[in-house]
Amino acid sequence: MRWVLPDYLRDELPPAAEHLERLRRDLLDLFRLHGYQLVAPPLIEFLSSLIVGGEEDLRLRTFGLTDQLSGQTMGVRADITPQVARIDAHLLNRRGVTRLCYCGPVLHTLPASLTATREPLQLGAELYGHGGVEADIEIIRLLATALERARLPAVRIDVGHMGLFRALTEGMDHERAEALFELLQAKDSAGIENFLATTGAEIDEARAVSLCALPGLYGGIEVLSLARSRLAPLPAVVRALEELEALAETLADLPLGFDLADLRGYHYHTGVMFAAYGANHPSALALGGRYDGLGAAFGRARPATGFSIDLRELIARLPLAPLPGAILAPAVDDEALEAVVAQLREAGQAVVRELPGHPLEEWREAGCDRRLVQRAGQWVVEPL
Amino acid sequence: MERITLALSKGRIFTETLPLLAAAGIVPQDDPETSRRLILETNRPEVRLLIVRATDVPTYVQYGAADLGIAGRDVLLEHGGQGLYQPLDLRIARCRLCVAVPEGFDYAAAVRLGSRIRVATKYLKTAKAHFAAKGVHVDLIKLYGSMELAPLVGLADAIVDLVSSGNTLRANRLVEVEEIMPISSRLIVNQAALKLKHALVQPVIDTFAETLHDQPDA
Repeated sequence: MRWVLPDYLRDELPPAAEHLERLRRDLLDLFRLHGYQLVAPPLIEFLSSLIVGGEEDLRLRTFGLTDQLSGQTMGVRADITPQVARIDAHLLNRRGVTRLCYCGPVLHTLPASLTATREPLQLGAELYGHGGVEADIEIIRLLATALERARLPAVRIDVGHMGLFRALTEGMDHERAEALFELLQAKDSAGIENFLATTGAEIDEARAVSLCALPGLYGGIEVLSLARSRLAPLPAVVRALEELEALAETLADLPLGFDLADLRGYHYHTGVMFAAYGANHPSALALGGRYDGLGAAFGRARPATGFSIDLRELIARLPLAPLPGAILAPAVDDEALEAVVAQLREAGQAVVRELPGHPLEEWREAGCDRRLVQRAGQWVVEPL
Repeated sequence: MERITLALSKGRIFTETLPLLAAAGIVPQDDPETSRRLILETNRPEVRLLIVRATDVPTYVQYGAADLGIAGRDVLLEHGGQGLYQPLDLRIARCRLCVAVPEGFDYAAAVRLGSRIRVATKYLKTAKAHFAAKGVHVDLIKLYGSMELAPLVGLADAIVDLVSSGNTLRANRLVEVEEIMPISSRLIVNQAALKLKHALVQPVIDTFAETLHDQPDA
C-alpha cells in the first residue's frame, strides 16, 4: 500500500493541476495590474515568528520541527499572512501604502473542515499602511473581481467587524473572552445568556445586553440600523458601525450581507472582516479582514487588511474543461517538419515528438488528438 | 425551486419536534415509525426532512447535506460543533448526562484529587473534560450501548451516560452520583445555508423561537 497518501492530502493530476497553475497565474496577474507586488516568503521559519501573540488556533494547526543548525523550533507555515506582515513591517519598511500579494502552499496539522486538504495553496493580497475604510473597500472589491475571474463569482459577501466584539468585551480576561467568542461563532444565544448570567459581574448591563443581541444581527443592510438601536453606543461601537455603513454604500453593487457575530478567521483580526460564498457551496470560498497591529510583533505596527483563498478548494469546485490535446510529430529528420513544429509551438499548440516503437493507441492515451502528416510535400495537421 | 432540508432522528426527538414544525406550518407526509423512507416530504414542497441517526445529525448539517438539524447537546459536544450555528435551545428531549456507579461504590474516594478511575461511556470528550476539571485521571472505555452492564461485570468503575427516568439504572442496581450537565436538543444550522437560503431558513428559526418564547419554561 505504498501508494496511499496520508489523510487529507492529495495529488493534483491532469487536467486539474494545469487548471490550478493557470488560475494561479491569472490571479497573480490580476493582482499585479492592481499594483500588488509579489513576495515569496519561505515555507518554514522559526515558530516564534510564524505565531505571534496568543494564536492558539494557529499554533495547533502548525507542524513543528527542530532546526539542526540553530537548535530552535521551526514551523511549517499554516498561514502566509503573518509572513507577509513581517516583510512589510520589517524588511520593506516603507512609510506609505504597500500592496503585496503571494501564492504558496501551507500545511495544516488538522484539516480546516471535513472536506479540506491539509495542504492548501494559499493565494492572497494584503494592503498595508492605510487605516481608513477605503482600504477595506479596495480589498473586498479585489476579492470579488478575483472570484469572478476564477469563474466562481461570489453570490454573497458577508461582512462583520471585530471592533464590535473587542469593544463589548474590553477589560474581560482572555480566557472568558475566548469562551464568549466561541459561543458567538456558534450563534448560541442561549449559551451566551447563560455564560453572562453565571459568570457576569465583570461586565456592565449595557454591554451584556449588546453581546446577547449580536448573534441575531445578521441579514441585509437593515442589520446596520438595527445594530444602531440594539448595541450600546460606545465610541468604538459607533466607529465600527460607521465604517460598515460607508462600506455598504460604496460597495452597493456587490452582493453584500452583514453578520456582526461572524468573526471567523484568525484572532489577529481587529476591524472589518468578510467571508465570500459561492452558489451551492456549504462553506466560504475566501476569508479576510483587517489586522492592524500584527506588524508590531516585528517591530512596527501597521494598518493592514487583506484576504486569502485556497486555490485547491476553488479548483475542486469549478467545472474543469478538458484541456486541448497535443499534436504528434513523427520521428523523422526533416527540416520542413522542424519549421512547422516550431511554428505550432510558437502559436501555443503542444507538439509531442514521437519516439520509435510505440503504437498510435499509446500516443492517444498520452493526450495526442492530432498528428502531423506529409501530404503532397506539405506537413499538415490531421485528426489522430 | 430552492428547498431546505431538516435532519433529525426518529423517536423522542422527532415526536417532540412535531409541534414546533406544526407551528411553522410544516407537517410531515409520513411517520418515520411506520415508514421506511429516509427522506420525508412535507405538506410544503420546499421543505423536506431527513431521518438520520442522532449522532449523524451534526455531520449532515456541517457538510451542507442538510440545511438545518435537531441534535442533542450531548451529540454536539462530542461532535465539537465546528462550522455550525446553534441559534436555539429547543428545550425538548430533556435529560441529563450523569456519572453512575454500582450501589455501595465509594465514588467520593474514587475521585479524590490525583486518583484514577475507569469509566465506560460513549461520550469520550465530555467525560474526559469532566474528570480533567476535577483533577482525576480517567481511563475511558468506549462503548456503543448498554453502558449499565460495564460496572456490573468489572469492565469499569463507573459509567457516564444519559439518564432521564433513572429506571434502567435502578434495574441494574446503579446509582447516579453526579450530574455533569443538563441535556436538551438544539436547532443547528449550516453556516452557508443561513446566508444563502436566508429567506427560507430564517422564518423557521423565528417561528421556533416565538413558539418557545410562548411556552412556560418547564
